[in-house]
Amino acid sequence: MADLPTSGVHAGAGPSGPAPAGAAVRLDQICKRYGSVQACDNVDLVLQPGRVHGLLGENGAGKSTLMKILIGLVIPDSGAVTINGDRVRLRDPLDAAEHGIGMVHQHFSLVEPLRVWENVALGEDGKLHPSDVRDRIVEISDRYGLDVDPDAVVGELPVGMRQRVEIIKCLRRDPSIIIFDEPTSVLTPAESEQLFETLHQVVVDEGRAVALVSHKLDEILKATDEVTIMRQGRVVDHVLTDSVDASGLAAAMVGRAVSLRSERVALGVVDTDLDGAEVPQTEHESTPEVLRLDQVTLLNRDGRTVLDQLDLTVRAGEIVGVAGVEGNGQRPLADILSSLTDIDEGEIRVAGTKVPTGKAGAMARAGVGVIPEDRHDSGVVLDMSIAENLWLVDTKPVSRGGVLDHRTMNRAAATLIDEFEISCSGPDAPLFSLSGGNQQRVVLARELSNDPKVLVAAQPTRGLDVGAIEYMTDRLRRAAEDGVGVLLISSELEEILDLAHRIIVISDGRIIGEMDRNDADLERIGLMMGGQTV
Amino acid sequence: MTVEPGHATAQPGSGHHPDHHHGVDADDFKRELGTDGTLTEEPYHPNPSTPTADRLQAIGEVVFLYTVCIAAALGLSALLVEATGGSSAEVFNALLDGSIRGPGRIGATIGVAVPLLLVAIGTIVSNRAGLVNIGQEGQLYIGAAFGAYFGTKLGWSGPWVILLLLVASVVGGALWAGIAGALRYTRNVPEVLTTLLLVTVAAQLVGYGLKNQWLLLAPAEGRANRQQISQQLPENTRIPRIEMFGNEFPISAFIAIALAFLIAAAMARTVWGLRLRMLGHNPRTAQRAGVAASRYGGGALLVSGAFAGLAGGMMLAGGDFGNYTLVPGFPAEIGWTGLLVALVSRQRASVAIVIAFVFAALRTGSGFLAATGVERRITDVVQGLLVLALLIPPALLYLRQRRRQMNSGGDRT
Repeated sequence: MADLPTSGVHAGAGPSGPAPAGAAVRLDQICKRYGSVQACDNVDLVLQPGRVHGLLGENGAGKSTLMKILIGLVIPDSGAVTINGDRVRLRDPLDAAEHGIGMVHQHFSLVEPLRVWENVALGEDGKLHPSDVRDRIVEISDRYGLDVDPDAVVGELPVGMRQRVEIIKCLRRDPSIIIFDEPTSVLTPAESEQLFETLHQVVVDEGRAVALVSHKLDEILKATDEVTIMRQGRVVDHVLTDSVDASGLAAAMVGRAVSLRSERVALGVVDTDLDGAEVPQTEHESTPEVLRLDQVTLLNRDGRTVLDQLDLTVRAGEIVGVAGVEGNGQRPLADILSSLTDIDEGEIRVAGTKVPTGKAGAMARAGVGVIPEDRHDSGVVLDMSIAENLWLVDTKPVSRGGVLDHRTMNRAAATLIDEFEISCSGPDAPLFSLSGGNQQRVVLARELSNDPKVLVAAQPTRGLDVGAIEYMTDRLRRAAEDGVGVLLISSELEEILDLAHRIIVISDGRIIGEMDRNDADLERIGLMMGGQTV
Repeated sequence: MTVEPGHATAQPGSGHHPDHHHGVDADDFKRELGTDGTLTEEPYHPNPSTPTADRLQAIGEVVFLYTVCIAAALGLSALLVEATGGSSAEVFNALLDGSIRGPGRIGATIGVAVPLLLVAIGTIVSNRAGLVNIGQEGQLYIGAAFGAYFGTKLGWSGPWVILLLLVASVVGGALWAGIAGALRYTRNVPEVLTTLLLVTVAAQLVGYGLKNQWLLLAPAEGRANRQQISQQLPENTRIPRIEMFGNEFPISAFIAIALAFLIAAAMARTVWGLRLRMLGHNPRTAQRAGVAASRYGGGALLVSGAFAGLAGGMMLAGGDFGNYTLVPGFPAEIGWTGLLVALVSRQRASVAIVIAFVFAALRTGSGFLAATGVERRITDVVQGLLVLALLIPPALLYLRQRRRQMNSGGDRT
């Protein structure tokens, strides 16, 4: 496929011509610069009522900045915003709301201890009429099939439900223009399906204009009418969705032909033909167990069960994928294996030896390497240098008698910088001066250079661009080949199907299914992720 | 507008040299070959490409900021003094005479700078670990009281008692900070509150000691009636003073400076310093990496209190405060001013040496202000303006640094 990268992309409805009379939103020549990075460079975008406009691009392509400009969170350096024919200046989100623009955010902006109706009413002026708000919520949820209890406490709702609240919150103001920012990243396949139904209804039946921001090709192909592709802050193409296919879109998005399997996975193109998978199937039953979780139970502060009698083993050289919708216990699991959280029951063994939980550094010393979900949270120290970040965990190789040997440290750091291709000005550069992908490489370099027995990789490719994703998956595979047991925690099903030898599905803190990669079936995993035992 | 991916892939062929190195391009985006020969593009972040030039520029900025702020403070002060009928030239001359220009005044200033520096070093240690110890005034008082007890109440004298006295001060200060540490790590009580509140407790406790002869109060003979002070340290139990260029000061000045460099080196070059900084910057990363907060954080609090205690001991045995006698109100706000010294030196122990001297000069200089005839309230405002001028630049620099990090750290778009 895709031997001719441009084949699938046609110059469809040209965006450069005069906007059709009925354009809901028209962005002209928008520019925004952050320091040396041009986030938006002369971007044009036209949203039509009654149409879903996809905005596709890698992380850092400028889609989010553009949408933030439209919602009034970011003021552009230059360019014009026209809404329903009137040129406007959007100074803040309230301004945008008055012009009928609403947004469903990728990261929820809900207050957890408050009830649904309270959250929906937040930000309203004047006197509060709880019963009116409740009635309106019921009305909206009936109309769009977004069933939710207005009196439920948001903190107790599952993630999919919370997104419904976000959508209701947005629809309550009856916006004529709605922006969905990466809406499916926290949903099960079934929930995504339902979301797109709502989307369809909002657009086709009610004639609203919708912008769907995404980096997943499947989603764009399925749910949009036209698509604008951005790369490095520029619009590289604008086409009708009917006239393109996945490989064409991918090529336009990345800027080159995409053929490698792992890249396609990175772009969210699901290979439905699983038989063609080239996952090396090796027998791992004979290799020793490097990680064993026995009946691990964790309660949160309110006594609610976060992890429920988790049993899990990883053998040397094996990649075990933990699939599941975000927020079902993956984060606490990674935290436990990082010694950040103590468990309430059960025990954990690394290479046969019991490891105390919640004790500073115990897991790391026992040989558990971790690539954390949020590296700024527990992976790196932004204010320290690259060299120091490379020896956070184990200072023995670079110190003598408690005194750091800076020369050895810098020399060894330079070697790792070369080996892991970290782009930086030198070992002394502060970590915050690196791009996200390079920060991730520093974490990877540190964890792998400590000769781990187990490597926990939690959402290891999140927020990385395609090249960095390829690099990461390649490294994980090589680590497994070298005999490290890899526990891959990911909410990207494609990633798990691509890498794992064995797949575990986690839902609501329990393991509800386990299968070999060869027996893996997309539909079955999808159902399990939704909490159904199959 | 059809995309031509070939366009992008064509560029590295012509523009990518094998020896091309990262990070010094003027372009917004640099190009490099990925692992399998494919092209990866990442936003170029402006790294300091030439560290020395960068550092020079940074130093230039700091000097400029201070110049502007101090000039503004001096200008405002002059206006204020003139407007209220005084002579601004007289006020500034008095400040200079009292701190450095008058004969022997540099020595007096050094004598004040010593405890300021010690308090500041301790503050830097706890700050680096992410803890806010603001109770140095109390830790210093307890340290001085411990020192006074061992120096006067046991009936020993001689040079070795100086050492004993100082060790006692260190233990006293550490103990007082240790209470806050224990509460922090067993009961989760914020150390900001406990250290601050313990200042009051310390003052009451030492006050009690000064009322009771079995504790600190000097015997009735040789003491003016009803004065609540300790006995004076014997002649041979005082820190020796030396004279250089007509300025006399205790030799503890050298010890304090050596300790400042020692701590600066320990922070940058030891595993302990690395772990302490890790804890301060990112406690979760530190926990994962094996830095137990209770051990390292508690340790930092103890060290911080120990330095404040040592400051108290050296004040008592150094002679610049209280005439070798523990008196009520002995700490004389050195503990509070030491906090400012740490703040202005922006957590660097070696810089604190200079800043401690500047604050000490402000203090000794103000002693001469009364002689100018300018009203006390006005001279107080002048002092306040000068302190503000010293505090604003570090605050601005800190804010800017944070903003830069926020901009470059948030890579998610």
